[in-house]
Amino acid sequence: MHHRCVLALLLWLALLAGPAAAQTVVIQRALSAPGTGPDFPSAAPALEVALPDEWARTRPDFEGTLWYRISDVPLAAPNAGELMALYIERVCSNLEVFLNGQLVHGGGRMDEPVTDNCKHPQLVTLPAALVRPAANVLDIRVAGHRLASVGARQRAGGLSALRVGPLSDLAPHHARATALQVTVPQAVGATLLLMGGFMFVLGFINRRESHLAYFGALSVGWALTDTRLWLRDLPIGHAVTEFLFCVLLGFITWAAVQFLLRYAGVRRKWVDRLLPVQGALMPLSLLLAGPDRLHAVAVVWTAVLALEVAAAAAWHLHHERRQRGFWLMAGVLGAVTLAGLIEVGAQWTGTRPLAAQLPQLVVPVIFVLVGLRLVQQHGHALHESEQGRLQLERQVREATGEIERNYRQLAELRVEQVTERERKRIAADLHDDLGAKLLTIVHTSDSERISSLAREALEEMRLSVRGLTGKPVRLADALGDWRAEVVSRLAQAGIDGEWDAPEDLPQTLSARAYVQTTRILREATSNIIKHSGASVCSVTASIADGDFQVVVQDNGDGITNEIDHRLDRGHGLASMKNRAKQLQGQCLVESGAGYGTVIRLTVPLDRAIEGS
Amino acid sequence: MKTILLLEDLPEIRAWLRKLVLEVFPGSHLSESARVHDAIELVKAVKFDLALIDLGLPDGSGVDVVTRLRDFQPDAQSVVVTIHDDDEHLFPALQAGAFGYILKEQARELITEQLQRISQGEPPLSPSIARRVMAYFSAKSKPQPAANAMPNVSLTDRESEVLLRVAKGYTLPEIGVQLGLSRHTIADYVKQIYRKLNVSSRAEAALEAQRLGLFR
Repeated sequence: MHHRCVLALLLWLALLAGPAAAQTVVIQRALSAPGTGPDFPSAAPALEVALPDEWARTRPDFEGTLWYRISDVPLAAPNAGELMALYIERVCSNLEVFLNGQLVHGGGRMDEPVTDNCKHPQLVTLPAALVRPAANVLDIRVAGHRLASVGARQRAGGLSALRVGPLSDLAPHHARATALQVTVPQAVGATLLLMGGFMFVLGFINRRESHLAYFGALSVGWALTDTRLWLRDLPIGHAVTEFLFCVLLGFITWAAVQFLLRYAGVRRKWVDRLLPVQGALMPLSLLLAGPDRLHAVAVVWTAVLALEVAAAAAWHLHHERRQRGFWLMAGVLGAVTLAGLIEVGAQWTGTRPLAAQLPQLVVPVIFVLVGLRLVQQHGHALHESEQGRLQLERQVREATGEIERNYRQLAELRVEQVTERERKRIAADLHDDLGAKLLTIVHTSDSERISSLAREALEEMRLSVRGLTGKPVRLADALGDWRAEVVSRLAQAGIDGEWDAPEDLPQTLSARAYVQTTRILREATSNIIKHSGASVCSVTASIADGDFQVVVQDNGDGITNEIDHRLDRGHGLASMKNRAKQLQGQCLVESGAGYGTVIRLTVPLDRAIEGS
Repeated sequence: MKTILLLEDLPEIRAWLRKLVLEVFPGSHLSESARVHDAIELVKAVKFDLALIDLGLPDGSGVDVVTRLRDFQPDAQSVVVTIHDDDEHLFPALQAGAFGYILKEQARELITEQLQRISQGEPPLSPSIARRVMAYFSAKSKPQPAANAMPNVSLTDRESEVLLRVAKGYTLPEIGVQLGLSRHTIADYVKQIYRKLNVSSRAEAALEAQRLGLFR
């Protein structure tokens, strides 16, 4: 896309520099004579020279003011009342125009520091009052510098061919040339300066993107080479100006080389060190050479610098040969190289055709485009890094949440562990203190009743403690425990025990249900042994509708009201029923005098683990 | 005449146990102690036939005394007399070599009977302890990679059968009837189970000590 833009711009610029009008006369010969006086030095021998007159060729050692005289200028206006004008495509550095001995135009200072008009085309209106019908004499006084004292050939003294014609013909010509040589370069230069400054600051802040800073420096340096477009008069001498321009080349090279390397992600310590050394060495050598040999030294330096930049470009392209932007960058560098070659060729031949001006325009335009591309890349990278940061933030938030969750779980676990430890401690304390005291009562009391109460209390305590700390009990295990206790107790009491229960049941009972059922069975067994007078007792266990059911049946006397009353005093049947109720179960007692007793106990299974 | 060690910290209970023991084993010689430390000193000095050992004592656990007796007086019968009826407390004592256990709060007659049975070689075994023993041996019977040095202590089929029936809540006489064996044979199996539990635990402990020693 950039290439197309450049192409369009070139075409437009070519159109601007269209051919001059037909009535215009091109003057290509003049008399010339050096002279410092206010008039053409008539006394001195005048030489006929061809225009354009490049001093670097015709008089390489001349420095100062030179007079040009054109006699018999055809100034007859084609239409009456029309203004005639003189158009000078290039004069370096400055000029004064005299018509028939009268000063009609001055470009600025003619003494040191001479105003620099090298890039400014001159249009001189020739006042009709001064125009004679015939034999008009045009004197042009040119102040210029010899090639040896300037860095670049286009700043050496010289005068282009002259055009004389109607103002209306020459004015558009002048306007086009001014636009091409002055206005457009000014606009591009200003853009380059602003963008370069912006990018330099950007790169300076983001040290990781140092190539931006170097490109900014390169752009600013390049824009400064066009200072003369803005400031034709500088309050410093010509020698100093030329020296500064040469030094600027060293700075531009420094920035360009570093930009090319850094942009490819390459960073070399020796490059970082050598470039500033070179930057110091260059002005030193220029100073040592003096103004008289400035051009020679500058040419050598320019060649060295150009080679450095070319090497850096090659390095860059080699390093980036597999990257996506390779061809774009190769195209840009190729265009810049081409522009450089054309420029060198133009300097060598000394002519200033349109083709020689284009590179000077094209390079800054390319710089602006590359700069925009770099800013776009930077913005893109910024956006991506912002996205990355957001993602990282999200991840951090998630991780934090995870950590908090884990911490909460840990804390809960810790609470559980502490609780468990506390339960065990309480259990141990109960056994050690309360248990020991109850035990002492059991074995030291003279009263059988107190001893028995203490024993029951001890059992209660133990079951309570176990209920506190217990885990779910497998029903198969619980049935084993109950069978062992009930059957052996009945056997000791001489009662025939029958036990009927399914084996290997996978269901579980909560610890509390286990404890309470144990107590109920124990109580029932005790009642049968102590009060029923039965000879046979059968226990039947079964599972029905998620409930565990035990039926204890004996063939004893049954429970009479009197016995019932007595049992309840010892928390017998009532406490059995209460316990069953606590478990959301029920305990039914069916009895009649002489018909034995049936106790039906129903307890819900541990639902959480049931069936697992 | 028997020499009996009585380790119990509560004076009243100790006095009560002394009376009871003297009734079951008249004319026996009793050495009493209220602390683990004193009991161990006694074990060093006196040879015992029977030792009644409480577990929770002020200066430690009675299991240490059981271990000491097993190591220095293998012929002495250690019986745990405790207020704890859960296998969590009892199993370590049985592993250490205790030959049965008596729950303190039981009625005098019951304890008397149990003591007599123990002295006749018929140690008590509750279903929960039986389950624990079964779990212990079935975990051991699984193939263990680095267990080359482990002595192969396992239960015979008959012993396992008895253990399984005890775990299901059958009494020893019932099991005898079921297997067509005498009550004494069944009791012998139970004794054998206790012994194997102890031997296996000791081998395990030795191996563990050796492993720790190797790694140190």
